Amino acid sequence: MVISVNNLTKQVPALDSSSGTMLDILKGVNLEIKPAETIAIVGASGSGKSTLLGLLAGLDQASSGEVILAGQSLNKMDEDGRAALRGEKVGFVFQSFQLLAGLTALENVMLPLELQSKSSARDDAVALLTRVGLAERLQHYPKQLSGGEQQRVAIARAFVTAPTILFADEPTGNLDKVTSKNIIDLLFEMNREKKTTLVIVTHDENLAQKCERCLLLENGVLNND
Amino acid sequence: MTKHFLLAARLLVRDWRAGELKVLLLALLIAVASVTSTGLFTQRINRGMNDQAGQFLGADLLLKSPQLTDQSVINYAQRAGLGITKSISFSSVIVAHDEFQLTHIKAVDQHYPLLSQIKISAQLYGDERPVNYGPAAGEVWLAPRLFSLLNLKIGDKIELGETELQVAAVLKHDPGQASSFVTIAPHLLMNIQDVAKTAVIQPGSRVTYLTGFAGELKARKQFEKWLAPRLSGSQRLVGGTEGSQAVNSAMDKAGQYLSLASMLSVMLSGIAIAMTANRYGQRHFDQAALMRCMGASQKTIIRIFSMQLFILGVIGSLLGCLAGYLTQQGLMILLKDLLVTELPGAGVYPLISGFVAGFVTLSGFSLPALLRLKSVSPLRVLRNDIAPLTISSWFVYGLAVCSMVVLMWWQSGQLKLTLLVLAGVMVSVTMLFILSLLLIYLSRLILPGLSGPWKTGLLQIVRNQKSNQLQMLAFGLSLMILMIIFLIRTDLIHRWQDQLPDKAPNHFVINIQNDEVKAVQQFFAEHGIATEGLYPMVRGRIVKINNKDILDVAEDKTKLDESLKRELNLSWSKQIQANNKLLEGQWWSAADDGKAVISIEKGLARRLQVDIGDDLAFRIADQHISATIKSIRSVQWDSFQPNFYIIFPENVINEFPLSYISSFYLEPAKKKTLNQLIKNFPTLTVLEIDVIMQQVKSIMSQVTTAVEYVMLFVLFAGMMVLVAAMQSGMDERMNAAVVMRTLGAKKAFLRRSQFAEFSLLGLFAGVLAVSGTEIIAYLLYSKVFELYFELHLSLWIYGPLLSVCLILIISGFYMNKVIKQSPVKALRYA
Repeated sequence: MVISVNNLTKQVPALDSSSGTMLDILKGVNLEIKPAETIAIVGASGSGKSTLLGLLAGLDQASSGEVILAGQSLNKMDEDGRAALRGEKVGFVFQSFQLLAGLTALENVMLPLELQSKSSARDDAVALLTRVGLAERLQHYPKQLSGGEQQRVAIARAFVTAPTILFADEPTGNLDKVTSKNIIDLLFEMNREKKTTLVIVTHDENLAQKCERCLLLENGVLNND
Repeated sequence: MTKHFLLAARLLVRDWRAGELKVLLLALLIAVASVTSTGLFTQRINRGMNDQAGQFLGADLLLKSPQLTDQSVINYAQRAGLGITKSISFSSVIVAHDEFQLTHIKAVDQHYPLLSQIKISAQLYGDERPVNYGPAAGEVWLAPRLFSLLNLKIGDKIELGETELQVAAVLKHDPGQASSFVTIAPHLLMNIQDVAKTAVIQPGSRVTYLTGFAGELKARKQFEKWLAPRLSGSQRLVGGTEGSQAVNSAMDKAGQYLSLASMLSVMLSGIAIAMTANRYGQRHFDQAALMRCMGASQKTIIRIFSMQLFILGVIGSLLGCLAGYLTQQGLMILLKDLLVTELPGAGVYPLISGFVAGFVTLSGFSLPALLRLKSVSPLRVLRNDIAPLTISSWFVYGLAVCSMVVLMWWQSGQLKLTLLVLAGVMVSVTMLFILSLLLIYLSRLILPGLSGPWKTGLLQIVRNQKSNQLQMLAFGLSLMILMIIFLIRTDLIHRWQDQLPDKAPNHFVINIQNDEVKAVQQFFAEHGIATEGLYPMVRGRIVKINNKDILDVAEDKTKLDESLKRELNLSWSKQIQANNKLLEGQWWSAADDGKAVISIEKGLARRLQVDIGDDLAFRIADQHISATIKSIRSVQWDSFQPNFYIIFPENVINEFPLSYISSFYLEPAKKKTLNQLIKNFPTLTVLEIDVIMQQVKSIMSQVTTAVEYVMLFVLFAGMMVLVAAMQSGMDERMNAAVVMRTLGAKKAFLRRSQFAEFSLLGLFAGVLAVSGTEIIAYLLYSKVFELYFELHLSLWIYGPLLSVCLILIISGFYMNKVIKQSPVKALRYA
């Protein structure tokens, strides 16, 4: 398994609580994801989808339960240990693209490789950007690109480190229908080419249907759709 | 490490390209340039002043000793590459035409004078010519007074001990004369080779061996350092500026001002750096979160951002040093005609000091902002509202305050001034904060009565209270500092101009006998010469303090204060002199006439560790008189008027042998009147200080320029804070403007409401600044510069007006972009 989740819970302090009342976001989630599998996690706004994604990717810590990512238990790691694991095994695509405004498309894609001190950073980034159809846009800044192009850059950046697992948080949330379709196609093409496990949090039914498995998160409980 | 360094450098280049670093780098550059150029300039002026003062000693350093100077000293000086001249100074009676006259004799070698020139003339009242050698063997040069007293003419012979010497010239000016201000006997210059023949120097004779040294500053310093511990109690090394109180006093104030201005420009740059670094840090939260997502550890994040800081520090400090050096050089070119002498070059210390200052400022003010990046949660990539943990305010402010104190203290070398400025700024910030709360409270009260753009503008201020308050404080503080620097500069310059008016006394006349007073006064009146009055003077030595012999009071006899080793000029007066200020105790009334009380100068009181009520005993002409200290005065030594350490009431020392002293202004064209004066009153000694005056004036003009020039740096630094403050709230303002445009606000309305908002912000900041200025100026005037303080009413009009204009200009530059953009575009990029 690439990801194993056992009885995962997440509680946060209730906003209006001064007496220490806790709000349950996730209530005992169990999940297993196989290598190269594509999974969609769907649910209403506020159902805890992004929280689950954060926990699966080791961006946040669970209140209880266990997440095993690429064979390693995230519970036993400190934040720097989880960061190292993310750098090695995980890629991300976000709804708001999360490109750095001061960096060109090429530099944005090079950044994760530069952090790993890869000497081939530039060549790899150029290759990936060419693969996503942005060979002519290497030196453009995010603000000079359309939403779809920005998300392509983000996809290139996510795949450039050849991750084992890719987490996508509403990757089409900020895009129009036509662009969304193109982005979805690209994401799945890349997934097939690179044999990457794909975990997508989405509202987009088209996107969810393209996944091998679709899981519904409702009131903090995960069900098969 | 190298890989992170390269990545940090690459990210820095990208940030630079994106325009993130310009204000930060500029603020750093200004801080460093300010420290460097001020340091270079003051160092050059100081060195120039030392050199000029050296002209008055005839050497850079003068070793005075009752014994022959040890050969090891000469050898060391020679090895250090210093020029050396030996002379002997003593008093002896010379005889001519059966007349006897006690004379102050200086026998000089062939190297005398090392610096400056001797002025002689071939006739008693003839034109003088400068020469850079002393009299030949067998010849003497005499002061004009001796010609009158002994009825001599050029070519005559005088007897000195067992030899006869020929009068070869009239001695008009000897460079060493200024250092022997207390010498009343007329002056004679002879060749050192003739001393042995005279046989006047016998074992036990009172003789001073003078060894002059001149050379490069580095060699001098090295020599001074070597010599200091080897000096015996009776030896004294006189430096360039010693004894030149007038120059020192003026320079002290100028030095304090320059330190203050430089400190404040560094402080302002520090604030600008803190604000831009904070914004830089905030704008990099997303980058840090993303990098954490991509696997960067906290250590990597902190390493990358610290390295960026380091690179930025090196570049900014180097550029700052270069800018400081170039501006200082440029200023020297501009000042070329103004400077009397070419100033010597500066050392590398100011450059090093500027470089270090850059680093301390950058680290102290931006490290806290960058440290926050370390604690950015990677979860921020999913939830933008997650802010990194705040760092303890104690740490943030503590670091900034500590680095500021270290910097300011290091720069100024004055702990008192540093702490005073720091305390002043802290009190001001607190006060400005309270005032800003009050202004916002008042705004809330008047809001209901407003309409249109003014209401919108004021609403913006009230709604974004926190960020507006911060901007108001930053604006207010920097404007306040600018105003303080401007006020003090103006007052200092005025004070100097007042102190050295065009007709300030440029001659002293001493040795006026009691029976000559009326005739001398009449002479002055006839020749249209205005004097500063005639002051009686009795020579006396302090022998006891509180009934204890001074030799018993002093723990180390070799360290006796100079004033205890020689006779002082004592005087008496009914009223306190105009340029004196009573600090403690009381001035005497008519009832004190004849009472043994005194008023003492504050510096002497401090050095002798005496206070009101203590007794001092004087030996005057073999009699002892004891007097109680009734008051302590400050004396304006740079006034070029007769001044005294000790003053008695009338009828206490009047019966002792006395003479009078006066000072007066003489136009250069009337210089020949001096000859007439000496002809009429041969026993008078006239000290021509017009050369010293010119030196002081030249220093003043240099310092004034330096003062104005340092102000420019403070201005630049202040502008940087304004820009940084404006930038810090810009993102919020952009968003607000974009939303308003989207909701249908017309360009004109937006312009008007922004005009209203920034005008009000400027007005508030201006009021805060002026209030703070008055308080700090009061403290500085009364505690540091000893200047008279009064409220600056015009500032209450010009200050807020200037503030409004400045803020409107800077904000106009930024806000224009938002207004001109289409709402869609603006929304997309906001």
